Amino acid sequence: MGKSRKIVCRCEDLTEEEIIHAIDEGYNDLESLKRYTGATTGACQGKGCLMHLIRILSQKTKRSPEEIGVTTQRPPVNPVPLLILSEGDTE
Amino acid sequence: MRVAVIGAGVMGLSTAYFLAKSGVEVKVFEQKYLTYGASGRNSGGITAMLDREELIPFAMRSLEMYENLPSELEFNFLFRMDGYIKVADRDEDVERLEKSLNLQRKLGVDAEIIEPQEIRDLIPDFNSSAVTFAVFSKNSGVVFPWPVVWGLAKGCRELGVEIKTHTKVHDITIGEGIRGVKAGDEFFEADVIVNSAGAWSNEMSRIAGIELGNKIMKEEICVTESIKPYLDPYLLDVSHGLYISQTSRGEIVGGITGREVEKIETKSSMDFLVKYARRVTQLIPKLKGLSILRQWSGVYDEGKDGLPVVGFSKDESFVQANGLGHWGMTIGLSLGKELAKLIIKGENPKLKPFSPERF
Ligand SMILES: Cc1cc2nc3c(=O)[nH]c(=O)nc-3n(C[C@H](O)[C@H](O)[C@H](O)COP(=O)(O)OP(=O)(O)OC[C@H]3O[C@@H](n4cnc5c(N)ncnc54)[C@H](O)[C@@H]3O)c2cc1C
Repeated sequence: MGKSRKIVCRCEDLTEEEIIHAIDEGYNDLESLKRYTGATTGACQGKGCLMHLIRILSQKTKRSPEEIGVTTQRPPVNPVPLLILSEGDTE
Repeated sequence: MRVAVIGAGVMGLSTAYFLAKSGVEVKVFEQKYLTYGASGRNSGGITAMLDREELIPFAMRSLEMYENLPSELEFNFLFRMDGYIKVADRDEDVERLEKSLNLQRKLGVDAEIIEPQEIRDLIPDFNSSAVTFAVFSKNSGVVFPWPVVWGLAKGCRELGVEIKTHTKVHDITIGEGIRGVKAGDEFFEADVIVNSAGAWSNEMSRIAGIELGNKIMKEEICVTESIKPYLDPYLLDVSHGLYISQTSRGEIVGGITGREVEKIETKSSMDFLVKYARRVTQLIPKLKGLSILRQWSGVYDEGKDGLPVVGFSKDESFVQANGLGHWGMTIGLSLGKELAKLIIKGENPKLKPFSPERF
């Protein structure tokens, strides 16, 4: 199978080629790339794909993973049903 | 004329785009990435069913722009015109909605009272006993905020505007002599400086030496996992400040309208999630099983009297373009267009209600 078929993000069904295309379009910082492609915003919230995204961005832009950084982690860590939340306490 | 725009939110980018379309040389400065500000964190509810007479015409113009700009920019905003419902269950809110509706209709907004049971025709599982009053406008909808920012940025760049991201303005020189902004180690000369820094506008105004005093508002919001298209209209419960809609990706986005805060911070709270979950499951009990995937918050500013602050400050080289409030995504497009006219012509009566000199 060619390079273009490599799946980077399972939740949003994104290939490596699509990620590279977005970087070429100018979405070449991690926050913009994630928003433009939808990578890391699906059900796993980046647990499966963030590292791939950083690797591709690093290869394409010749910046180190440290320079690229990580995206802001948004709570909750795992999905929580509304029913459970609605029974919680407020201040 | 050379213009420096501070802030690449909907206000700054719309202003820059329409300035550039008239041939003005523009540079835009953004401290972080595109969509970092409120323009990348909002719920994209677009309607002319607003309470303030001064804002309604701008909302109506923006609605037209949301329909036409995407083809001009060749960028899909993912705008859906599937209607907007406002509901209430407290008498004082019902009165306010009725009063606003009369005003809206007088100004030509297509809006009407509907029975709470009729909401079930629009949202099948809606619990109509949770509310006592509802208004509806067909001519409203939901936009995906990110493509709006990216699309405007694309339009700007194609007209030769330079958008400097990750470039924070930290000094501003106005008055007689050489004017401009300082970002990093560089000084950029400009004849006019536009302060469209959203919640950071007070700070930008302060370093220019001009009093502003906008309120800072913080608003929390969250999304669920994606489900099939289910919720066509945008729904705002004014008595509880709660709103929900569904994105084109299928997630249910919902939040609680903002509250004034002392300083800028964007922490997310459990308190918000619980309040939101309680009310949203009363309104649409069927959502109970859905899970929250992600929550965040945003900050925006609002003029002291609840209206935007847009126009020349006492120093005509420093232009305010801020204080947009909770409806900024709606009014920002047309405010930016009118502000470009003001900067080019030196006057624009349409912007009079928002003059920084009104206070
Ligand atoms: C949760 C939430 C929900 C909302 N829902 C809606 C809605 O449904 N409908 C609606 O119409 N509106 C809504 N709004 C309001 C709307 O998002 C804002 O009014 C609007 O985006 C403000 O746009 P702006 O361009 O003025 O500010 P912003 O989008 O905040 O842009 C200002 C920019 O300036 C940059 N900046 C600041 N300081 C500097 C500096 N020193 N140098 C360089 N750049 C700088 C910031 O990084 C930022 O990107 C909502 C807001 C929030 C937070």
